Amino acid sequence: MKTWTSLKEDQPVVMKMIERMIKDDRMAHAYLLHGDPGTGKQAIALHLAMRIFCKSPHGAEPCKTCTDCRRVESGNHPDLHWLKPEGASIKKEQIQDLQREFTYQGLESNKKVYVIENSDKMTTNAANRLLKFLEEPSRETTAILLTDNQYRLLDTIRSRCQLLALRPLSPKALEAALINEGISPHNARLFQAIAPQLEQAKALDQDTWFADARKLMVQLVSMLHSRSNESLFFVEKQWMEHFKDREQLKIGLNLLLHWFKDLIYIQIEDNASLVMLDYKEQLEQQAFRYTKQQLTTILETITHAVRKLDQNVHPTLVMEQLTLQMQR
Amino acid sequence: MKFTIQRDQLIDSLQHVMKAISPRVAIPILTGIKIEATKEGIKLTGSDSDISIESFIPVEEDGLVYVENIEPGAIVVQAKYFPDIIRKLPLKTIEIQTDDNYQMTILSGGSEFHLNGQDAEEYPHLPVLHTDNSFEIKHDLLKEMIKQTVFAVSTVETRPILTGVNMKVIDGKLNFVATDSHRLASRVLPLSEEQKHVNFESIVVPGKSLAELNKIIEENDETVTMSVSDNQILFQTKNIYFLSRLLDGNYPETDRLIPDQSKTVVKTKTKALLQAIDRASLLAKENRNNVVKLETKDQHLEISSNTPEVGQVTEDVVTESTEGESLKISFSAKYMIDALRIIEEEYVSIYFTGAMRPFVIRPDQNDQILQLILPVRTY
Repeated sequence: MKTWTSLKEDQPVVMKMIERMIKDDRMAHAYLLHGDPGTGKQAIALHLAMRIFCKSPHGAEPCKTCTDCRRVESGNHPDLHWLKPEGASIKKEQIQDLQREFTYQGLESNKKVYVIENSDKMTTNAANRLLKFLEEPSRETTAILLTDNQYRLLDTIRSRCQLLALRPLSPKALEAALINEGISPHNARLFQAIAPQLEQAKALDQDTWFADARKLMVQLVSMLHSRSNESLFFVEKQWMEHFKDREQLKIGLNLLLHWFKDLIYIQIEDNASLVMLDYKEQLEQQAFRYTKQQLTTILETITHAVRKLDQNVHPTLVMEQLTLQMQR
Repeated sequence: MKFTIQRDQLIDSLQHVMKAISPRVAIPILTGIKIEATKEGIKLTGSDSDISIESFIPVEEDGLVYVENIEPGAIVVQAKYFPDIIRKLPLKTIEIQTDDNYQMTILSGGSEFHLNGQDAEEYPHLPVLHTDNSFEIKHDLLKEMIKQTVFAVSTVETRPILTGVNMKVIDGKLNFVATDSHRLASRVLPLSEEQKHVNFESIVVPGKSLAELNKIIEENDETVTMSVSDNQILFQTKNIYFLSRLLDGNYPETDRLIPDQSKTVVKTKTKALLQAIDRASLLAKENRNNVVKLETKDQHLEISSNTPEVGQVTEDVVTESTEGESLKISFSAKYMIDALRIIEEEYVSIYFTGAMRPFVIRPDQNDQILQLILPVRTY
């Protein structure tokens, strides 16, 4: 669990704004926290909610010891409503339930807070419902929307929130933190690229699934050249077996993305930026089979594939198409 | 926490609080039952955040000892398992204790259960309501007032405030009003001298909560204490506390809707009118709001309904008196039936102010009940 002080170190600008607002008692009715994954959106939302409910705050900080703070943390505070996507999206019914809840007065206090995680995942219907709700806030209601990409939200929603932009974590700092945690320098470089969060990276380090995933990825890219007619078969038999769900497949695609990025780095002789340090030899062998033009096209197709996964395209089809495109 | 309790009493109490617990809750702790032991007795709490029910088991009652060996404390246990365990225990007495790790041990005869619990501090803190703004009301009177209004609340959530019953005290009278914007039901209760001090502003209690409360209050001569706080209302019977959250928002001004003069007044037998409308509605199409027509004719009322594909019906009702202009009006049979059903008096008067204006139904010799229905425009 992060502390207010550590949040201030990670996000000095936003935290300063929040402290200011609390001190001047000028809380907005809706905030939109946006920033890359791992920048601490949830943690900030949680602390903000705590501060709103806390009975004995220290200045701008919540005490974190009173029952209100503890219940916010454990998810049991009756006047805090925390929405997450159910499945792939936030559905109309979820917003409807939230609205229904807000026709009632608070259970304990008259303050109410709702947090919507991944708010860009709202369906159009849900977003439009929320819009009406955001427009006419009842008294002492605070909305906190979280998103990785603010531009995927409706303009009309964005314009009704106070935007708080979280600054991306500096990769160097994360890498150093990972090495501090006892992760080997080569792995630390990879993890900071794949999992921009300390906890997540540490979990990956322990995970044999991830080690296998990396091996499979290297097998696939080398197969694209040596035995290209078998690659589809490989995707079907082994790749999809390993990357079972969408989230896993996204990690796989992320690995591929970094592989091809590295190829570009080798071509432009920027060895310091390489991520897959363990496979430098293979990278160097492969780098000159592609033109720069080809590599950028491949990078584009991979990002396309990630987007398709988000749009609910069948994972196997996405992967097969991608393999064919990469072979070309 | 530690205590020894009579099984039957515990089962009884559990049944009450289980009514408030719903399987779909917003916060995980509400899937549990809170059990609190004090020197006075054991208190159980269940809640789905909209309504909360507390049930109290006193240490002794009428010389019978229910709870013994109490060591005060509190815990929250899973509502899915606890009641079933208690129900199936072999002996009449049950020993319950908890440890510092929120583990509950249930002992009875040869059986020993260990249940994982949660910290009672995590449970929503229900407001402690003060008695200075409360008053007592008889069980059957409260049930009657609920019955006479709650049917008229709105069931659609487009205007959430209308899904509740508006309660307020004005001029020493307790007022219940419910409307779904097509019809309105109101009941007034004059407060006695010692209740006159009560003063609460207009509050709106969810219709669902009142319907639930109606089920819980037993039909007898005892009294319920009603108290209102900022965001909750409490109904307190001897050992059960029923709390409901209030709806947020301003209730529309309903007094102005009620016409103060009328052009046509009809007085008739309640039952006869109810039955005639009920029969006429048989041929009134449901998808057209069960519309029936009413026409005043000298000492008669003619009620008719016509659905070309099905057939038509004419009902004739004799009135006690018909005064004022003659009139033709159409309205929803369902609303009319709802309104007449709650009237127990033999005679009822209907005050019309024209075919396009709302009309008022009042039982004869009783100005505490008022029903208002909007007519339907037919071409």
